[in-house]
Amino acid sequence: MQPRIKQFPQLAAAALKDEQIQNNLLGLYNGFHQARIAASEATPNWDELSDRGRAIKAHTIDNLDYYLEMVERTVTAAGGKVFFAKDSDEATQYVIEVAKARGVKLAIKGKSMVSEEMGLNHRLEEAGIEPVETDLGEYIIQLADETPFHIIAPAIHKSKEQVSDLFQEKLGTPPMTEISDLAAEARRQLRKKFIEADMGITGANFVVAETGTVALVTNEGNGRMSTSMPKLHIAITGMEKVLPSIEDLGIMLRLLIRSATGQRISSYVTTVTGPRKSDDEDGPEEFHLVLVDNGRSKLLADPALRESLYCIRCGACLNACPVYRKVGGHAYGWVYPGPIGAIVSPMLTGLSDGKDLPYASSLCGACKEACPVKINIPRMLLYMRHQLAEGDNYPEHKTAPLGEAITFKLWRLSLSNSLSLKIFSGLARLLQKPFAKDGRINKLPPPLSAWTNLRTFPALASRPFRKRWKS
Amino acid sequence: MDSKEFIANVRRSLGREEGSQVTPSEATHMSLSSQQVESWAQAITRGIEAHADEYMGQLEKTAVEAGWRVARCATAAQAASHIRNIVRDVEATSVLHSAHPALEALHLGETLIGTGANLEAMVLNDTSDREVQRDALRQKAINADIGITGVDYAIAETGTAVLLARKGVSRVVSLLPPVHIAVVEKGQVLPSLDELFTLRRKEFLHNNLGSYMNLISGPSRSADIEYQLVTGVHGPGEVHMVLIG
Repeated sequence: MQPRIKQFPQLAAAALKDEQIQNNLLGLYNGFHQARIAASEATPNWDELSDRGRAIKAHTIDNLDYYLEMVERTVTAAGGKVFFAKDSDEATQYVIEVAKARGVKLAIKGKSMVSEEMGLNHRLEEAGIEPVETDLGEYIIQLADETPFHIIAPAIHKSKEQVSDLFQEKLGTPPMTEISDLAAEARRQLRKKFIEADMGITGANFVVAETGTVALVTNEGNGRMSTSMPKLHIAITGMEKVLPSIEDLGIMLRLLIRSATGQRISSYVTTVTGPRKSDDEDGPEEFHLVLVDNGRSKLLADPALRESLYCIRCGACLNACPVYRKVGGHAYGWVYPGPIGAIVSPMLTGLSDGKDLPYASSLCGACKEACPVKINIPRMLLYMRHQLAEGDNYPEHKTAPLGEAITFKLWRLSLSNSLSLKIFSGLARLLQKPFAKDGRINKLPPPLSAWTNLRTFPALASRPFRKRWKS
Repeated sequence: MDSKEFIANVRRSLGREEGSQVTPSEATHMSLSSQQVESWAQAITRGIEAHADEYMGQLEKTAVEAGWRVARCATAAQAASHIRNIVRDVEATSVLHSAHPALEALHLGETLIGTGANLEAMVLNDTSDREVQRDALRQKAINADIGITGVDYAIAETGTAVLLARKGVSRVVSLLPPVHIAVVEKGQVLPSLDELFTLRRKEFLHNNLGSYMNLISGPSRSADIEYQLVTGVHGPGEVHMVLIG
């Protein structure tokens, strides 16, 4: 998918003015966010579970080379094939090669965020293979040719009327007013595709190194369909999804599902270990696992950002974030929105283009509190801001303009001792005079107008606190 | 990319040397030896028998919360007549079942006589080409009104039916028909997900993991449009759990 992270300010401004998006975002908070809080409170020892989950991820990521070798060995032993892709292109080429070798015409897809990274659907179409998304939300956005708005609920920005219009236009169905009718229509349409499909493409929520097992979490059953009906199954996922032991799944599934939707468990959890065995009644004849780097090794290499790879993609930080809840998923301009996206998207697609994203946060810490594996997102956002302004770790991406650098140097100087504070605040009191009214500053000239366009702030008091305290 | 090169790049990014040892971690279950797994598994098996009533009682509650329609039956005969009622209510003409020991005691063939439903087992036999059989069975599953399965385990914590890969158990009997009936016997109920995965690890160490496992917890559902819950999106919209004992 072509990143548009550079356009965050424009996209965010547009979303703020869109009444329907604002309404639907409210639903995210009242729905998923509250459900997550209730579910974590109802789980005994949630905090302990969280610490354990974090420790499992920390250990696996710190030793990822070891566990990736193990995955290659165990998946192969189970009769599957593993392909390691350094970027989107390699992963896409591999999928297309495998598909062509089997003469695939129709591929059904379970939900996979990494395939969104790859822009896989368009590439399959170019190769003459019809890709069909089967998660209801993904199906809707595929018909609309859009990108996911939320990693758990991709089409949550659309109203049922818009979905009905879309179905009329693309599927030729009559107008529908009930959501259950829309879902039933999607079931009819997609059932045909499941039956005809030559290939199933899924993501993987977890990959178990010891056993060579892939775990899929779904509510609709698209994951089960995609791994049961076609003769060929390809699972594509990021290389950070590895867990050491199948026994670790109990902890990780609880953390993921309860944080994502607030359910105790999703309707379906399916584990797949290789293709079907000769005694199995049914199942795919061929199984491939594609593990994708696509920039993740950059996050591994920077100890300050490494913990972003602990993310299990539950979406809890999106729902908790006061910024995401106003600007929505499309504003972030790539596959991963919200607080974790503000770290991952610029790092995977280009830090200079994504320089606004680390600033799209009030650093309030709600994301850190919501994260089931306690990822310290605010710390990383602050670190990225520092790197963009004056750090040495990503020199080619430094973006702080000279004016900003001088301003902050002066700011530091002004606060460094009482004499300079006196001088600078006296100067500021003088300069604010034309703009201050009844103790507020309502409008400043450019470039400072960026501060006052949407809010006012208090003017400096005419007598400083220190003077008043003395008297 | 060549796997060696890929993994070497990961190693470099981590600042690790080739052949460097893995720092052991107590956090992951990988640290447990096979003897420990073995003795845990034995303790679990003893526990599910000792607490069979308690776990069954919990499951009855959590399964309802997960969206199953639950019936607790004292005997196999009661369970059979309950299933007969479901088949009548659905007005099913085609019922598929997989080969689970729990189903044998229900004598489904006799049970369904007079309901107008045609009953068939979704099981491969050794008499003819398996691929031909697979295609025919698949077509039957596509057209079936009800799928009946046993379970390998159920989970009290989450209201879950666990189906493992084994001879005579199809992946799609519990998936393609719009109605699924899962039959659970007392003594099959595990307290939580953790016990299930310990038992799975034990099976793995015995080279017996199987090609798949399905955890089923209620009907197929989605809230992808306006957060409104709808059921029966791809899998069954109506799911029954029949508890025996």
